[in-house]
Amino acid sequence: MITEQSRNSKNILGLFLKGEVITTVAILVVLTYFLVSRGLPMVLTIIIDFAVFAIVTMSLNLETGFTGIPQFGRVLAVIAGAFAVGAIPGRIMAASMGLPWGLKYAKDSIHYQISPELTQVLANSWVFSLLFLIFCVTIAAASGAGIGWLTSRPAIRLKEAYLGISLLAFGDFFMWVGHNWEPLVGGSTAVYVPDPFRIFGGGRFQAVVIVIFLVAMLVYAYLNRLTSSPFGRSLKMIRDNEVSAAAAGKDITRIRTQSLVIGSMLAGVAGGLYVIYTGTVTAMGYSRLVWTFWPWAFMMLGGIGSTTGVLLGVMVLTIMRTMITVYRFQLFGFLMAWGINPLWLEYTLMGAVIIGVILFLPHGLVPEKVQPMLPAGRVKKLFSGGMAAKPR
Amino acid sequence: MRNLLVTENITKKFGGLVAVNKVSIEVKEQTFTMLIGPNGCGKTTLINCCTGILKPTEGRVLFGDTDITGWPTHKIYEVGFVRSFQIPLPFLGLTVLDNVLGAMRNSGEAPLKAPFRRLWVQEEENNMEKAMEILRRVRLDNHWDKPSHTLGAAQLKMLEVAKGLASGARLIALDEPIGGVDPASADEILTHVAELKKEGLTFLVVEHRIDIAAPYADYIYAMDLGRLISQGTPSEVLNDPKVIEVYLGKGVEAC
Repeated sequence: MITEQSRNSKNILGLFLKGEVITTVAILVVLTYFLVSRGLPMVLTIIIDFAVFAIVTMSLNLETGFTGIPQFGRVLAVIAGAFAVGAIPGRIMAASMGLPWGLKYAKDSIHYQISPELTQVLANSWVFSLLFLIFCVTIAAASGAGIGWLTSRPAIRLKEAYLGISLLAFGDFFMWVGHNWEPLVGGSTAVYVPDPFRIFGGGRFQAVVIVIFLVAMLVYAYLNRLTSSPFGRSLKMIRDNEVSAAAAGKDITRIRTQSLVIGSMLAGVAGGLYVIYTGTVTAMGYSRLVWTFWPWAFMMLGGIGSTTGVLLGVMVLTIMRTMITVYRFQLFGFLMAWGINPLWLEYTLMGAVIIGVILFLPHGLVPEKVQPMLPAGRVKKLFSGGMAAKPR
Repeated sequence: MRNLLVTENITKKFGGLVAVNKVSIEVKEQTFTMLIGPNGCGKTTLINCCTGILKPTEGRVLFGDTDITGWPTHKIYEVGFVRSFQIPLPFLGLTVLDNVLGAMRNSGEAPLKAPFRRLWVQEEENNMEKAMEILRRVRLDNHWDKPSHTLGAAQLKMLEVAKGLASGARLIALDEPIGGVDPASADEILTHVAELKKEGLTFLVVEHRIDIAAPYADYIYAMDLGRLISQGTPSEVLNDPKVIEVYLGKGVEAC
């Protein structure tokens, strides 16, 4: 009787959860229709925002959802990738072409003269464009990983809240360095990045979107494989109980560092790709709100510790965010009458999502599953020969 | 018989409190060595000092011929010395099987190798067979695919023992393996421990329930207020007036 009851309640819960996902998808379809009716550029904008933030949020999920590191400084590695792509490849090109490349490179009066020349070189050669793109992604990854490793040195031994605060401070620190030290990425003015996609001419936007989306899917596949492995199990062990994990022979400091470095590397790639997409870097564009707390909101909505859930969370909120940006004055203009400026609705939405998720959906849309590290089919096959008494 | 674990004058101070005061014990190979004493006498602190969770203020810990004083826990695991915890600390986000597998070694723990399943899956399957064997011994094999948070208290104790066994250690320190377990299961756990001892393992067991555990012990150390007050075979220690005094209070004559 008891088992039957519990099974029933499970079914009802399952239906309820399914209902939730179905509702989400239905809302998404309606929203997408509104947005798609605005034409291709709108669709492409959604895809690119989705792809860039998916990489950032999945990297955050690796560190926070799987390893239990309170990563409140996600923006740091994104900045590292963005600044590296803004500061290094253009300089190397300028130097090899005999143009000013030192501290003067980022000075606006000089920079605006030389950057079109650099892009022109790329626009004439497929080989150069491809090499340039690969180089950009590589140094973005390297500087992301490097900064992740550097911050891990003083910070990794700290406990929860202290680690979170330290990481948050590191993130802001680097934004202000970029803002105030002009030679890095132009300080308060923007630095242009030579555009490896200019060679596509009118199809530039589509090409960028496809490439970045493919990278995001690669990252998804990589993280799925990385976390369903003995390494992923070690991460979860440390997240669930540090002392017990150490007693089971896990080197806590090393594994947390590895997680931080891999996560930061991916976030760096996202930062670098975003710079290539926009074609410019401005230090102040890398605020902790957009690059730390939004990814947190995406992750919390999707389901902490669930890579697939995170993708869904990014998708839902990106579409809603774009929807608000596009329609805020048409649909929400009436709020002006009450003294509320719809300009800020985007931020209100993120705050509301975080509160709503904590109250009503603490495990997110797709809660993390407790399942064997190997796919169920393999495990069952292994135990089918009477290994387990009752394999389910 | 050789000494497997030796502590030399281990002292652990927390500020002004001396939790462990110059304790020297020897754990001989292939024995069931028990550590008894009232609450707060420093048994767990001593184990923590031996297994690297705490660093001793003074003294040395030797494992075989190796000085492991102050080593981090995971390195002590590598020389073949592991511990279980008094309050079970399962990995809640993992299945029962993965809890046991996590205490084993697999080269797929290296992040560069991890994404390539082909490179470590054979090891994993071998580990799984061993893990299932261990789970069957502690009677958790029916629960192998359940999340560990669905287990009951006694089952969690069993899981702790299983994790200790899975590590392939030579010396396992069990912190109250039968605390909070019903007498029948307690005997079962201890019988099992005795069997493993015959297979070559060594056990250092902290236990309160002397009545159940003492018959299995080869040697007993008794502690009180951070000091060693008695040692010897079970009958010697349990009849030692000092041990009786700390457990039962002073006799009528002493008043």
